[in-house]
Amino acid sequence: MIFYIIRRFLFLPIILLGISLIIFVLFSRLSEYQRLATYINNPERLKSTDLDKLIELYGLRDPAIIQYGRWLKNVFSGNLGWSYVGKEPVYNAILRRFPFSVELTIFSVIPIILLGTWFGVLSAIHHNRPLDHTLRIFSVVGWSFPDFVFGLFILMIFYSSLNWFPPGNLSIWASDILKTSLFRSYTGMLTIDSLLNRRLDIFFDALRHLIGPVITLTYVELAFILRITRSSMLEVLQKDYIRTARAKGLSEKVVINKHAKRNAMIPVATVSGQTVLGLLSGTVIVETIFNRTGLGSFMALAAQQLDYASIMGGTLFFGFILIIGNLIVDVSYAVIDPRVRLE
Amino acid sequence: MKRNRRTLFRKFFLNLSAFLGFFILFVFIVVAIFAPFIAPPKPNKNPYLMPIVTWNGNPEAPSPEHRFGIAGKRDIFYGVIWGTRTAFQVGIIVTFVSTFIGLVVGSIAGYFGKLFDEILMRVTDVFLAIPFLVAAMVFTTILGTGLDKVMIAMTVFSWMYPARLIRGNILQVKEEQYITAARSLGVSHFFIILRHVLPNSIFPVLIQASMRMGSLVITAASLNFLGIGAPQGYADWGALLNYSRNWMLGGNGEALKYWYMTVFPGTAMVLFVLSWNLVGDALRDFFDPRLRI
Amino acid sequence: MNKPSLLLDVKDLRVFFYNDNKEELHAVDGVTFQVYCGETVALVGESGCGKSVTSLALLRLIDSNGRITGGEITFAGINLLHLSKKQMQGIRGKDISMIFQEPSTALNPVFTIGDQIMETIILHQHVNQKEARDIAEGMLKIAGIPDPGKRLLEYPHELSGGMKQRAMIAMALSCRPKLLIADEPTTSLDVTIQAQILELIRDLQQKLNMAVILITHDLGIVADMANRIIVMYAGKIVEEGNRQDIFKDPSHPYTIGLLRSIPRLDIHQEKLSSIPGMVPDPVHFPSGCRFRNRCPLADPLCQQEPSSALISDHHFVYCHHWKRKAELQAESFTNE
Ligand SMILES: Nc1ncnc2c1ncn2[C@@H]1O[C@H](COP(=O)(O)OP(=O)(O)OP(=O)(O)O)[C@@H](O)[C@H]1O
Ligand SMILES: [Mg+2]
Repeated sequence: MIFYIIRRFLFLPIILLGISLIIFVLFSRLSEYQRLATYINNPERLKSTDLDKLIELYGLRDPAIIQYGRWLKNVFSGNLGWSYVGKEPVYNAILRRFPFSVELTIFSVIPIILLGTWFGVLSAIHHNRPLDHTLRIFSVVGWSFPDFVFGLFILMIFYSSLNWFPPGNLSIWASDILKTSLFRSYTGMLTIDSLLNRRLDIFFDALRHLIGPVITLTYVELAFILRITRSSMLEVLQKDYIRTARAKGLSEKVVINKHAKRNAMIPVATVSGQTVLGLLSGTVIVETIFNRTGLGSFMALAAQQLDYASIMGGTLFFGFILIIGNLIVDVSYAVIDPRVRLE
Repeated sequence: MKRNRRTLFRKFFLNLSAFLGFFILFVFIVVAIFAPFIAPPKPNKNPYLMPIVTWNGNPEAPSPEHRFGIAGKRDIFYGVIWGTRTAFQVGIIVTFVSTFIGLVVGSIAGYFGKLFDEILMRVTDVFLAIPFLVAAMVFTTILGTGLDKVMIAMTVFSWMYPARLIRGNILQVKEEQYITAARSLGVSHFFIILRHVLPNSIFPVLIQASMRMGSLVITAASLNFLGIGAPQGYADWGALLNYSRNWMLGGNGEALKYWYMTVFPGTAMVLFVLSWNLVGDALRDFFDPRLRI
Repeated sequence: MNKPSLLLDVKDLRVFFYNDNKEELHAVDGVTFQVYCGETVALVGESGCGKSVTSLALLRLIDSNGRITGGEITFAGINLLHLSKKQMQGIRGKDISMIFQEPSTALNPVFTIGDQIMETIILHQHVNQKEARDIAEGMLKIAGIPDPGKRLLEYPHELSGGMKQRAMIAMALSCRPKLLIADEPTTSLDVTIQAQILELIRDLQQKLNMAVILITHDLGIVADMANRIIVMYAGKIVEEGNRQDIFKDPSHPYTIGLLRSIPRLDIHQEKLSSIPGMVPDPVHFPSGCRFRNRCPLADPLCQQEPSSALISDHHFVYCHHWKRKAELQAESFTNE
């Protein structure tokens, strides 16, 4: 296992390079003029009439490999160009929006894992009985719902009709308070910051705005965890050690909750990384529909307006985050399964 | 007897959901084939572009003339019908091409092993690292809009799944081969592997493909929904749903006034994906009961 | 010597399974036997004859696709089949314990040995963590595991097969059960370890004065360990008697065939090939004597259910023709 982890860490830079290479190759299809924006952090300079001089200056007609090196250097020094959509350097735009997406992802991951494993276990325990079938239908329908369709339905019902969960990140009164110097930003995540600022009203307002997108993402992504839990639970329940646990006199509850679940969660843990991956791309759609600020809606907007610097930076960022996230999942997976720890 | 009822119930349910899947799919196939008769296009016009039927930008409720109503100056019914063709096109072409690429890459990695395998699998990791939708977005922004661009983008970022599957199968067969030592009989290694791998892999690949079909169609529709996929007015469910975004609030105190803009294309979309998922489930139950998940 | 008291009384036990085609499988079909305190009863018979199902039924641990459809299981005067789930859980692991064939799959891979043993102790003996630990450590020591304090903290995969089975035994015996069911406890272990484990079981049996139901294919082990022997065939008991009765005077044609196969068993085989023919399909057992399609003595009378014949004290046989067993000396089973 140690070797495995070390190997993973050794490959990390290679994969990160790979991602940057794909992105660079893709973007090298654009003209020099279009690419210029991905190098320049200052919008004033882009307005200058003599773009050719700038292109010369940034060596955008140099051999590709040299350009790649130069661009990488730029990336590492945090210069991802000017974001036309964000009206600020791409780097800042991403860092400012990312916490919102993380917040949404965290708030969605929790119910997905909890409900998904709960339903999955229920489904397995009630194998082939009505509850199992009901949950299967429930999950396959959710699985079949595109997030934007379900999101639109949620908006229609809970916003247009009932006016419970409005779109956006915050109500106007709350975002006004955010702009004042009274409110200090610590993490960039509204729920946490509002608690740290002791503003319960803002906290609940932020929560209220989170509910719609969270319901959407949860239902759409739930099926995956549910299925994995169900099948792995079914498999575990056949195992000899479950019979041993019963033969000891443990109650069915302990057998399921302690002996079976812990084992059944191992495959679930390995795919939870994929769920986060799905969620992060889900934010693109869900943030757009619910009109939320975040990295996802930022990407969508940049794509709609062909803001190449933002797209390039955002994709790179997404890729890096996911790679590192997956690595963390793999390593923490060793914690659940003692067999992996030693191998 | 209680037990007998349960088995019956299960069989019925499994058959029912499989039947439902195939049935819905069948209906969609019929609709796609007969689209020109169900919703006749204007002569000499590209039928995949929804014709503009009104100059008034406001949506119009379903009427005998426009059965599903009007959105974005276009007939929703027409869009839903021809969108079926779009969905099939995208799903089938992308699945087919990406599965083919995946088979080739996976076979090379699995068969040659060692360095080949290592390199190809790292490449797969790289491609898997970028979220599918984001990757497709990047691609279409660079290549320009158009359904073909959307399909290229999705192909480039979905060959990894069949590749991994086939590689796994080959490695497994290879391992078994060493044990049974069939190799020593002098039969060419390559053909042994091929003979063992193909029959074992066809159904997993098929099942995976049918499960992937849904997510491909969703992604393509997502791009169109965001307005960065197919061009304006293209007959696509995602593009139709895009029109509804500005009318979510309803009007004149009627919150659900424009329900038809969401409900018709949305339902078509969900049923389409659902049918593929049910079919995939049924195939899996049928061919690989071990994987009954 | 005073007569040992009755511990377990199984009467006409029936366990049926149901498959997807709604067919009934009579895995155990009218089994009656007794176990007395402190004795070892061996349950022998070919693979699939219902030994494991019988023993699992004693703990009411039949898989969900099966059911105990009839009979009585009286343990220490209580009919187990009338107990509530909760009461039954109080019996399992405390009064009746079980060890299984495959120690590497019978232990939960994600909990330490200590966890798993202490869990039973805490459950049944109402002691705290610390006391449970001490008991567990003591138990491991008794089970012959060196350095028990350290082993408690290890996971199953860190132990060898023999060690795992010792840990299983420690776990099963931690609450001093009155009855231990050992379902092929040594089959998956190599020969020297086998002997050690059996020695351990016998040793602990004497120390704790518990009864043991030993399930095995290995008649060598039976000859070594058992006071009494129950021979099963196709879900029914065909013969039952003291060790001497069965080995010296086997009376059922099946038992006779089984004993002829002893020399071959040192190479451990699943099927006793010296008896020609196959165990009948459990869904379609023949009527009457279930052995008749393989029996050299079979005649039309065998289509009727044989009743038990008492040969001597405690020696029963279920066969119409047991008196003709001498003919079997001439007639060879090994004529494949
Ligand atoms: N869960 C189950 N579902 C269906 N049939 C079962 C189940 N468990 C056991 N059986 C059937 O019951 C019969 C008796 O099985 P059992 O496991 O008791 O045999 P056994 O004597 O222990 O054999 P072995 O020596 O191989 O362990 C077999 O025909 C078996 O197929
Ligand atoms: Mg058995």
